[in-house]
Amino acid sequence: MAKFKAMTQEWLDAYKAAIEADPEYKPMAKDWEGSVALVCNPDPSKGVPETIYIFMDYWHGDVGEFLVCDKAKAESATFVMTGDYSRWKQVALKELDSTKALLQGKLKMRGDLPYVVRNIKTVNKVIDILGNVDTLWPDEM
Amino acid sequence: MGYDSDLSFNYFGPTKIIFGVDSSKDVEIEMSSLGGTKAIVVTDKGIIDAGLLEHIKAALGNKCVGIYSDIPQDTGVEVVDAGAEYARKQGADIVISVGGGSVIDTAKCMCILLTEGGKLRDFNGIQLLTRPQIPHLVIPTTAGTGSEVTTAAVIMDKEMGQKRLLVENHNVPRLAILDPKMTAKLPKLLTAGTGMDAMTHAVEALHSIQHEPITDGLAVHAIRLLARHLPTCIENGSDLVARGQVQIAATLAGWAFGNALVGIVHAMAHSIGAIAHVPHGLANGILLAECMQFNIESCPESYALVAEAFGVRERGMDDMAAAEAAVESMRAFTKTIQLPQRLSEVNVKEADIEKAAELALGDGSIVNNPRFILDSSEVLGIFKNVL
Ligand SMILES: [Fe+2]
Repeated sequence: MAKFKAMTQEWLDAYKAAIEADPEYKPMAKDWEGSVALVCNPDPSKGVPETIYIFMDYWHGDVGEFLVCDKAKAESATFVMTGDYSRWKQVALKELDSTKALLQGKLKMRGDLPYVVRNIKTVNKVIDILGNVDTLWPDEM
Repeated sequence: MGYDSDLSFNYFGPTKIIFGVDSSKDVEIEMSSLGGTKAIVVTDKGIIDAGLLEHIKAALGNKCVGIYSDIPQDTGVEVVDAGAEYARKQGADIVISVGGGSVIDTAKCMCILLTEGGKLRDFNGIQLLTRPQIPHLVIPTTAGTGSEVTTAAVIMDKEMGQKRLLVENHNVPRLAILDPKMTAKLPKLLTAGTGMDAMTHAVEALHSIQHEPITDGLAVHAIRLLARHLPTCIENGSDLVARGQVQIAATLAGWAFGNALVGIVHAMAHSIGAIAHVPHGLANGILLAECMQFNIESCPESYALVAEAFGVRERGMDDMAAAEAAVESMRAFTKTIQLPQRLSEVNVKEADIEKAAELALGDGSIVNNPRFILDSSEVLGIFKNVL
């Protein structure tokens, strides 16, 4: 199976395909409305020289645009989650629970918090699927 | 109590605590220790009418630049915005809250607006702040919410038709003054209800899937103190020893659930509160033992600690037997403190619990419950048992 470099367009395409292929996702996410942006703070020592912006569109169980994008596009998302590269890697590898990360301030999120809390099972599912994407991490390359 | 080898947690609890009868008279000294020179006092009409503000005003003297007391039972976004606007005009550099949960949460949010500018609706999210906010000194007048030591605030947004939840490590109160005299006039039902809120925070911190040794320790001692002293507060409200120990218990439980979070009891109390307006502490108190019964197979070890705290774990009892004793003790305890026993006693109807059961399933707290809940019929079953 091909490996994809984390937070590149190819990696996002693979992630989107993995979500679409998951039979449990669609019914679980049927009520979810709103795009999500991930912002990864730069960490040159780990192979991330600049901020990476990612935009993902989720709508009632369907997945739309999944793009590596610019700052303006990311900030247009309904939910914007920001964190350091190492934290995102921990989340993807399921070493760090995303809910815990938000509560402890390891990740920040702009958006309707009660909505996310109500839909936490959907959020966890999406992260769960992320763990299945075969990823090359820039600090390990 | 066993913990797994992959145990990993953050514990956060930076609030300084000042305790003692009449300690609230030191408010000016403590405010200065935080660098405050101009205080805005946030409170409500009930506190003023009860005469609880007089000595605080006197102690602050001309360092009090304003009193903001327009705070309803369930505070709202506009209340916060107006309070911050007023505090800004008065040039406040410290916020002192004197009140219960609604007052404290209003003051927490005012600190954000005073530091960052803007209106509360501009702050939509979690852990958005990147620097400490202007200092907040809390003098609680109830013993239950634990809000004096937590990072969270809950504010009603009528326009959105839902409560806003703010969680900010940079905005936890810097200092809390626990003065037993400040809770001595609380009426019986409010004492019992807020006390059971604290009890529920402690028990839920123990059974939460996020529990850890620090929060377990805090929770167990909170239960011990509540078991011993809350009944005395009901019998004799002016017993300052009992009042003080219950205040301390509420703060310990606040640290416990502020880190370990809460589970099904709060999920159900939030939803029945939203639908039938049952006060938070009362709802928790009515639901707690029944929810423990529901969870018992999933966390006998945690409830065995509750039994130890109640002093009912006998020699030779295994965890399950001790957990059963804990549930029975909790039921008996709510009777001792004269808490309503059924939701129907607080005007909840059959139709309410059906809606509430659905709503509870979508409450964020439920994900921390030790027993996994698949269907709202399970929640409805618990509601029916206490209707
Ligand atoms: Fe509570």
